[in-house]
Amino acid sequence: MKVTARLTWIEEKILEKLLGNASLTLLYQSSAHKNCVSEMTQKYSLQGSTMTVFHLEEDVVVGVFILENFPRLVSEKPCTCAWFSLKRNNSSGISALFLNTKVIVDSEELIIFSLDGLSLSVTPLRGFTLALNDTVMNGLELNLGHGFLPVECEIFRVDGIKKKPSFIKKMVTAKQHGGKLLSALRAYKPYKDLVSEVRILLVGPVGSGKSSFFNSVKSAFQGHLTRQAIVGSDESSITKQYRVYSIKDGKSRETLPFMLCDSMGLEEGEEAGLCIDDIPHILQGCVPDRYQFNPCEPMKPKHSPHAASPPLKDRIHCVAFVLDINSVNTLSDKMVAKLKKIRKDVVDCGIGYVALLTNVEEYDEVLDDSFANMTETVTSLSQVQNVQKWLNIPIANILMVSNYASERRLEPMKDILVFAALRQMLRAADDALESYQDLPLEDTGNLAPS
Amino acid sequence: MAMRTRLTWQQDKCLQNYFGGKRFCLLYKASVQKFSHQNLLCTCENQGPTMIVVYSEKCVIGMYLKEGFQGKDVSITIFALQETGFSLCAKGPYSPYLLFHKRKTNDFSILLDKKAVIVSSAICKMLQLTARNNVIPIQECEAFRCEELLDERKTRGIAVLHSNLLQALRDYKPYGDLVQQTRVLLLGPIGAGKSSFVNSVKSVFKGSITHQILVGCDEDGISDKYRTYSIKAKDDSDPLPFILCDSLGLGENAGLHTDDVWHILKGHTPDRYQFDSMKPITSNHPNYTHDPLLKDRIHCVVFVFDINSFEIHSSELVAKIKKIRRDLIKHGILHLALLTHVDSLDLITKEDMTDIYNYSPVKSKLEAFHGVFGFALSDILVVSNYVSEWQLDPVKDMLILSALKEILYTANEFLEDLPLNK
Repeated sequence: MKVTARLTWIEEKILEKLLGNASLTLLYQSSAHKNCVSEMTQKYSLQGSTMTVFHLEEDVVVGVFILENFPRLVSEKPCTCAWFSLKRNNSSGISALFLNTKVIVDSEELIIFSLDGLSLSVTPLRGFTLALNDTVMNGLELNLGHGFLPVECEIFRVDGIKKKPSFIKKMVTAKQHGGKLLSALRAYKPYKDLVSEVRILLVGPVGSGKSSFFNSVKSAFQGHLTRQAIVGSDESSITKQYRVYSIKDGKSRETLPFMLCDSMGLEEGEEAGLCIDDIPHILQGCVPDRYQFNPCEPMKPKHSPHAASPPLKDRIHCVAFVLDINSVNTLSDKMVAKLKKIRKDVVDCGIGYVALLTNVEEYDEVLDDSFANMTETVTSLSQVQNVQKWLNIPIANILMVSNYASERRLEPMKDILVFAALRQMLRAADDALESYQDLPLEDTGNLAPS
Repeated sequence: MAMRTRLTWQQDKCLQNYFGGKRFCLLYKASVQKFSHQNLLCTCENQGPTMIVVYSEKCVIGMYLKEGFQGKDVSITIFALQETGFSLCAKGPYSPYLLFHKRKTNDFSILLDKKAVIVSSAICKMLQLTARNNVIPIQECEAFRCEELLDERKTRGIAVLHSNLLQALRDYKPYGDLVQQTRVLLLGPIGAGKSSFVNSVKSVFKGSITHQILVGCDEDGISDKYRTYSIKAKDDSDPLPFILCDSLGLGENAGLHTDDVWHILKGHTPDRYQFDSMKPITSNHPNYTHDPLLKDRIHCVVFVFDINSFEIHSSELVAKIKKIRRDLIKHGILHLALLTHVDSLDLITKEDMTDIYNYSPVKSKLEAFHGVFGFALSDILVVSNYVSEWQLDPVKDMLILSALKEILYTANEFLEDLPLNK
């Protein structure tokens, strides 16, 4: 005899990925083992987190993930549950719902209650009927009648998952939330349409993740991994040219109203890496796309100092100081001095600025479980305190991401951080544009919106 | 407490191989579900082939039940994993339930509540175990369901992914229709597997193994001409929208001349040009393309290395390759790395190849490659070329097709990134 899961291999992979790269091990199968609740629960109450899967007719699969141990016979306990439904003929369509529920095990029945009444009841002895309530049915986009016969019931142990209810909630709602952020960003328009595209400059030490951030933003908008900017590690900066990248939206194919400007990395030495004196030229918009940086010498602008400065649309509207979170605390004094000098230039030009910390390892812990704010563990990190001190950046503008440089597929949580960071950058840019507008006309001089 | 096995990766592989390609799913762990044979039987009954493993201070002893716990007598294989190696002996038919009770007739008993196993002298001798009074105290007991590594369920899943990949490649179009066929250049040391990769791609699309391009082992490399290959899918009359360009291997002193690399990249070198290690092509050559268009240029470079030998290349060769890469970066030419012969890694199985980038030895190799050459981890692909096979294999096909997909998508990024006036 052989015990093989009815859940297909691909469906198993989809569920594993949704739970954050967990792994599923089949423990119980109703057709191979005895069809009774006491059997089901007695065995599996000490196995840790489980996923109970019901294969219904019409090729629909409904699953309940329970974070805590499966309750024992004749007991009732509150559990963190996540519900899933997969439709067989639509292989990529998976709906997920997160609920805090109570699981009751009776001798005949397995009942799962949610706050607004019965969610699911399984009575194997009475021909294994399953009843789901409306909240669950709507949340999972199921179109079934009430009370139907599951063809099979399987229980899997789930390994490799973080045992925190907030983590589960985040994993299950990540894709949905990411979609909302994406829609909001798609609808973004620069402040009072003063410019058609907002320009965000990325500066930072060599290897901090500037080019990777651009690749990550593009990947998140296009829905698949991209590598337009060359990245990697070398003794000196990989990026040697000034690049102004625009991004097309994956769905509408329209160019999005922001541009990311990538620069050469900063090095400690005097004639190495990005020349500090190039920064004011970049900020004012004098440096053309694909300009080859010279570490020893800043560019000589084509315009003479008395001629008109470039229009608002060519200037930088927001600067992001990109720093690898793992090396923030060990930055040399020279590097910090360079960053402070750049910040001074940025402030003098009236441009908005944020800090972007990259290579965050526990990136699922950056935001709270409703993705609204950064968690306290993260805001109290020493790196955040240091950046706030050196560059005088408010904590709300110290952003965190984990770039795509070693992944081979998108992760919804990473996308959320990327979108959230971009949103703050656009807000800072809008604030800068608003300030430009408020300047008396004599001072704006040639800041014609054009 | 976590349900994680105490078996080391090596021990797991050893058992996998010995019992004929099996995967072990942990069902019971005494330290989590309590040391009681009722609990063990409860979780392990009717699970098909089962394996029970006990851990003593110095060794791992196990029992493999090919027919599992089914309420009838079954044959049992008892084995031991020690520093000295793997030893086993067969027993049975036995009633497996008797194993958990102390009986004079038992050669082997597992007494969970006493945290000990009792092993008869005969078995001790056969397995080279030391036991005082035939009793070995144990610290842990685990029970596993044994599944086929690559069973029907998995092969069905792989077949679906395979056809999705093939379709994605059939739907591939060069970015913005800027060219009809994207050109991919394969560069790499002599013998890395560049020509084999072209053969492999041709085979996958043709539906059967082809050896059109000559491959083999020679100090100076087998390919001596620049060859550009178009590929047709099985039932189509039009070639697929990409061209694979095969070159002479790079060597320290012999092999492809560095200046020839630039002529190829810019699109000057004609198909079937005969390389000369000492002298790069000049514009006097009869078929030299004087004003190459975008369609003649290379749109993506793939550095091909043998996964087993990239770490032992000479420092001169490594420096040569790093210089070529720096020049590519300077000119904005996107590039990837392709590591071949992944199936020759120690202890790797077909099943490991279905999730190859999560397989530990492959992860270590990628890190090592990143350390030597500086490529981002997601820019390093692994593949296993068709060298001596007679038939295609879906698992190998998947690796080849996914590598090709990444390469072609990267070529599209290059085309998208071109300044508009070009």
